[in-house]
Amino acid sequence: MTAVQRRVIQAGVLAVVALACLAEVLYIFPIRGGILWQLELPGGPDVVLGSGFIRSFSLRQWPDVLVEITPGLAFAFSGLIAWSVRPRNRVGLLMMGVGVGLLVGVQPGAKGSPAFSELLAQILSPWPAIDYPWVSIALSIVGALGVVMLIHLLLAFPGGRLVSGVDRALVRSFYILLPLAAVLGEAAMNVSPEALGVAFSSNIFVYANTVPNLIYLACLVLGLALVIRRWLLGGRARRRSLAPVFWSVIPVVFAFLPWSVIEIAGGLSLKGKGSAAALFDPLSTAAHLSPLLLIALPVGFLIGLLRTGLDMSSIGDLVVRLSSGLTPDQLQPALARALQDPSLRVLYWLPTLGFFADLEGRRVELPDPDSERAVSVLGDPTAPVAALVYESSLVHEGQLLDTAAAAVNMALENARLQVQLRAQLEEVRQSRVRLVEAADSERQRVERDLHDGAQQQLVTLLLSMQAAKAEALKQGDRRVAELIDANISALREALDELRELARGIHPTILSQAGLMPAIQSLADRSPIPVDVKGAFGDTRLAPPIEAALYFVVAEAITNAVKHSKGKRMRVQVGRNLGLATIEVSDDGVGGADVSRGSGLLGLTDRVAAVGGRLVVTSDAGKGTTINAEVPCG
Amino acid sequence: MPDRVLIVDDHAAFRGVARRLLQEIGHVVVGEAGTGAEALMEARRLKPDLVLLDIQLPDLDGLTVAKSLSSDPEPPSVVLISSREAADYGPRLDGCGALGFIAKADLSAESLTALLGA
Repeated sequence: MTAVQRRVIQAGVLAVVALACLAEVLYIFPIRGGILWQLELPGGPDVVLGSGFIRSFSLRQWPDVLVEITPGLAFAFSGLIAWSVRPRNRVGLLMMGVGVGLLVGVQPGAKGSPAFSELLAQILSPWPAIDYPWVSIALSIVGALGVVMLIHLLLAFPGGRLVSGVDRALVRSFYILLPLAAVLGEAAMNVSPEALGVAFSSNIFVYANTVPNLIYLACLVLGLALVIRRWLLGGRARRRSLAPVFWSVIPVVFAFLPWSVIEIAGGLSLKGKGSAAALFDPLSTAAHLSPLLLIALPVGFLIGLLRTGLDMSSIGDLVVRLSSGLTPDQLQPALARALQDPSLRVLYWLPTLGFFADLEGRRVELPDPDSERAVSVLGDPTAPVAALVYESSLVHEGQLLDTAAAAVNMALENARLQVQLRAQLEEVRQSRVRLVEAADSERQRVERDLHDGAQQQLVTLLLSMQAAKAEALKQGDRRVAELIDANISALREALDELRELARGIHPTILSQAGLMPAIQSLADRSPIPVDVKGAFGDTRLAPPIEAALYFVVAEAITNAVKHSKGKRMRVQVGRNLGLATIEVSDDGVGGADVSRGSGLLGLTDRVAAVGGRLVVTSDAGKGTTINAEVPCG
Repeated sequence: MPDRVLIVDDHAAFRGVARRLLQEIGHVVVGEAGTGAEALMEARRLKPDLVLLDIQLPDLDGLTVAKSLSSDPEPPSVVLISSREAADYGPRLDGCGALGFIAKADLSAESLTALLGA
C-alpha cells in the first residue's frame, strides 16, 4: 500500500469519526428555531442542517452519547495507532473498520445511533431518491461489517492473517451472511405489509426480524467458539499474544449477547405480552450500558502491542547476556526465553556436510512448511548460517525475530563452528563403528569358510583314513595300518590347529550361544584357573558389544598367561543402569603398559567404537585389572 | 535288529564315508538328505529309526530340524554331528531333543555304538 493510500484511509477514518461526533453533538444541542446552517445550492433545494434534530431533543442526554460513541472512538483511535506501529499488519485496519462500524453503523434492532443517519439523511435530502430507508439499510450493512471485522480481528490477532482454512471459510461466509441479515432486518422494520399489498399476519414480520437476529447470535457464538479453540490449541507463544484479547473478549460477550437475546426473545413473545416485556426489562437496562464494555477490547489489543515492546526489552537482556559471553549451549535457551517460545530450536548449517544439525552435530530435517512449526533461515540464502525453528504463531513477530537473530548472529557463527566440529567427530565415530562391524562380519565369514571348506574336507579325509586303517587290520596288514595311523595323528593335529585358528578369528560359541557361554569357554580353556562371576541378564547384547567384550576377556587371559606369572584370574561381569560392565583381574606381577602392546591399544579402540571405555590398572607388584564398560540401552 | 538310518549332510563326500561306517556296524542306510527341509521331508516319509544330522546346513540349522522332529508322533532318535566341537554350541545342544552329539573328527564305529547303546 502506498503512502498516499495510507493517508487517504487515515483521513477517511478521521473524517467519519469527526462526522459521527458532530452528529451526536448536533443531537444534543439543536438550535431552537430549527436551523443550524443553511446551504443554498444554485437551482436546487436548500440543504438545511439541524432542523430535524429538535424532535429528538428530549431523547438524548450526554451519558447516552458517551455510551454510544466511546467504544467506536476507542477502536478507531487504537486502530490508527496499531496501523502506524505495524503498517503491514491488518490488525490496525480491522480495528479501524470495527470503530467505524460502531460509530456510524446501525446494529440490528438497536434503537440508538440514529444521530448519524439523521445527519446523513439531511445531507442527502437534495436527492429525494435516496430516502431514509435506503440510508438506514446502508448503515445497517456498515454496522454488520463492523461486527464481522470484530470476529475477523479476534481470529487474526496478532498476525492479522487468518491461518487456518476453517477460519478463512467461516469469516468469508460471515462477510456475506451478516450484512444480508442486517438488510433483511431493516427491510422487515421499514416495509409495512400494506406496502406489499398483501394481507400478511403481522407475526410474519416479527419473525422476519427475529431470523436476522438469530443469524447474528449464531455468528457471534461460532466466532467466540473459534477464539476459545485457538486459545486451547495454541502453544505458549500463541497464548501469550492472545491473552490480553482473550480476557477482554469476555466483557464483549456480555455486551453483545443481551442485545441478541432480548431481540429474539422480544420478537418471539410477539410484542404486547406484558409479562415477557417485564421479564426482560432489567436485562434491557444492562444491554443499554453494555456497549461501554466494548472498550475492553481495544484496550486488550493495545496491551498486546505493549507486550511486544516488553519482548524487545527481553532482546535487550539477550544482548547484555551475549556481551558477557554466552556459550553455544546457552544460546538456544537464551533465544527461547527472549522470544518466549520454549519449543524454539536452533539448527546449524554445516556446509561441508550439506545439512542442518543440532548442537550435538546430529542431522535434523527442517519441518514441513505446512506444519505447526515455522522456520527462519538466518544468513545469506545461498550460504545460510543457522535456522530457527519455532511455533508458527511467532511468524507474525517478524521484527522481533529479525532483531533477535541479528543480536545472536556472531554467537551463532561461533556455535556453528563448534557444531561442525562435533558433527565431524560424530561422522568419524560412526565410520569407526562401521569399520569394526565390517571387520567383524568379515572375520565371521572367514571362520565359516574355514569350517565349511578346509575343515570339512579334512574331517572327511580323516574318516576315510580310519576306514582304510580298519580295512588294513581286517586283512592282517599291520604295517600299512601303522602307516595310516601315523597319518591320522598328523591329520588330527592339523585339524586342531585349524580349529584354534578359526576360533581366534571368530569364536563360533559367541554367535551360537552368546557372551556368557563364550567367556566361560575361554575360562575353561585357560591354563591359569579363571573364576567367572555375574551375568548380563536374560537378553543378549548387540553383536558388536558382545564381540568387543569377548575380545577384552580373551586378550586379558592371553596377556596374563604370557606375562603376569599369576596363579589365579577373576572375571566379574554385570549389567546395570544401561551399562554392560566387565572386570578381568589377575594376581600377577602387574606393570602392563597400554601404549606398548598393540593388543591392549586395539582393545581400547574397539571398546570406544561401541561407545564404551576401557581402563587398565597395572601397578607393579599389584596384578593387572582391566575394566570395560559399554552402554547397552 | 539293525537300525534304519537317514544321513543328513550337505557334503556328498562325507555322506559316502558315513554310509560306509554305518553299514560296517550293521545299520541299514535308507536315505540321504542335503538340506534341512529335505531332511524333514525324508524323515517323515521314510520313518527311519535313527537320523545322523549335521548341524551346519545351508537352510535350517540341524538344531532346529532336531527340535521339529522331536515333536513328531513317533520321533526317530537323532545324533547330531558337526565339524565344530560340542563346546562351540554351549547350552543350545541341550533341549533340542537329540540323543547326543559327536564331533565329526571323533565319528567312529566305537563312538556311535557307545552313544546308541547308552
